[in-house]
Amino acid sequence: MREMISMVVVLTVLSAFSGGLLATVRSNTQDRIENQVLKFEKAPAIKAILSDVSNDPLQDRFKLTTDGIENTFFVGKQDGKAASVAFETKGKGFEGAIGLMVGIDLETDTVIGVRVTTHSETPGVGSRAKDDPSFASQFEGQSLENGFSVKSDGGAIDAMSGATITSKGVCLAATKAQELYTKLKPEINNQITNLAN
Amino acid sequence: MAQSIAKEFTKGLWAELPPFRLVLGLCPVLAVTQSVENGIGMGLATTFVLICSNFLVSLLRNIIPAKVRIACYIVIIATFVTIVELLMQAFVYELFLKLGIFIPLIVVNCIVLGRAEAFAGKNAPHMAIADGLGMGIGFTLSLGALGAVRESLGAGTILGTPLFGPDFQPFTFMVQAPGAFVCLGLMLCLMNLIGKK
Amino acid sequence: MTDYFVLAISCIFVNNILLAQFLGNCPFLGTSKKMETAAGMSMAVVFVLVMAGIITWITDTYLLKPLNIEFLRTLSFILVIASLVQFVEMFLKKSIPGLYAGLGIFLPLITTNCAVMGACLINIKEEYTFLQATVASFSYAIGFGLALVLFAGLRERINIARVPQPLQDTSLGLVTAGMIALSFYAFKGMV
Repeated sequence: MREMISMVVVLTVLSAFSGGLLATVRSNTQDRIENQVLKFEKAPAIKAILSDVSNDPLQDRFKLTTDGIENTFFVGKQDGKAASVAFETKGKGFEGAIGLMVGIDLETDTVIGVRVTTHSETPGVGSRAKDDPSFASQFEGQSLENGFSVKSDGGAIDAMSGATITSKGVCLAATKAQELYTKLKPEINNQITNLAN
Repeated sequence: MAQSIAKEFTKGLWAELPPFRLVLGLCPVLAVTQSVENGIGMGLATTFVLICSNFLVSLLRNIIPAKVRIACYIVIIATFVTIVELLMQAFVYELFLKLGIFIPLIVVNCIVLGRAEAFAGKNAPHMAIADGLGMGIGFTLSLGALGAVRESLGAGTILGTPLFGPDFQPFTFMVQAPGAFVCLGLMLCLMNLIGKK
Repeated sequence: MTDYFVLAISCIFVNNILLAQFLGNCPFLGTSKKMETAAGMSMAVVFVLVMAGIITWITDTYLLKPLNIEFLRTLSFILVIASLVQFVEMFLKKSIPGLYAGLGIFLPLITTNCAVMGACLINIKEEYTFLQATVASFSYAIGFGLALVLFAGLRERINIARVPQPLQDTSLGLVTAGMIALSFYAFKGMV
């Protein structure tokens, strides 16, 4: 009986101690972590896409939830007026998910640019989607009426040689962005108006 | 006294060098050693967990009832792993992204639980720290060495610096999954050769 | 339906948990010297991984996420897995002694098998639905078993061959594993 009690007591105390310790560490690192995520994953892509804006899109951001998935939208302003929005979508590549930041011109509904944010593609092959700008630049100025696909699937995008799967993954992510934007456009505009006030 | 501490420390460096001699904790050894940086980062994270958990386990070795000792060890280890996870997200986010799922998986790294059970549970705290430090450094060095071989052959760089000039054709096999197994196997063979003499 | 089929194929072959994701390598090398132990380990993994996959998914979706304590994921998952393994062990011992005799010694080892924990974490990371997570867990376990049994078969053959002394045992085992991984590489990009 004594042994039973000591077992229960030791485990409980230990778990409580561990929970408390972790909660403390967590609350002290939370803000830093959120900033780090923005800084390393999103910021380079956002800066590259929304290059000629007058504000800091990282500051002017809002969140929208659709189908249980939360997306963060970053707003770019020119002359104090919201001109563009950027957000991230995911596509499936050769070795897992590819994150794609897509920038959209709010007035013309065309793609300003896309950048790969996170990927785990083969170095030197699929990783060119991120490192080689000529592939991503094909998306610039494309209209958002239809989705995107590579030429072998009847689309307009030249796949990177030797990295067809990665190219398709990027197209998939871009198509998702198109669908999301079309669906959420009224809400996005609402949020931007709120943001301005 | 000092001698025995030194002994516990150095055994982890050669005689019981974790991944090679004990053939334990192989998953991170194979998975994250595409580059020196990843290997050493992973090694250091594991070392931190190893030292802390060894210390705490040894400190509590007379309080923890024998029947629930494994459960207690697991709680202790998981706590430190989560701390490492949070700290890495807050301070070295880039590395955290590369190591990904293998950080939480330190919790099931056989070396950590193995040392708690085989050593820390039976020895005084200062010995346990020496043991953890030695094993951890041995583990880190092994990961670094494997990372160096794979990175130099597979990508032609060490810590991102090119080694062989522009004409070098990277031997991509080495940085991919099959290369990891073959490379570790051959290094083990080399160690057997040296050890025999 | 096709989606689940594709998911299963991808988890068994393309993203094979042992050879492509590098999870569960300790038992891979440790229990592959004999076909019998390899088969026993594979069965135990299938059994535990499916249950762990389901339970951790439920834990994460209905406990950790609503309470906003995802940072306790590592801790809670390992505890769930450890107690699950204990429970399965006790249950089998009492109710199905035949199966227990077969799986018995492998069950405690599974707690520290990172294939189980890893697969559970991947289920969460890929944001699978409940059904997807179940299918994925089962397929990962099948992939684990397939690779382990194939490997054990090869190792049994190698044991009767004459191998240079420094290459013996684990060393050649790893090189062999590399060759199997290479053959699985052919599935890459298929899905």
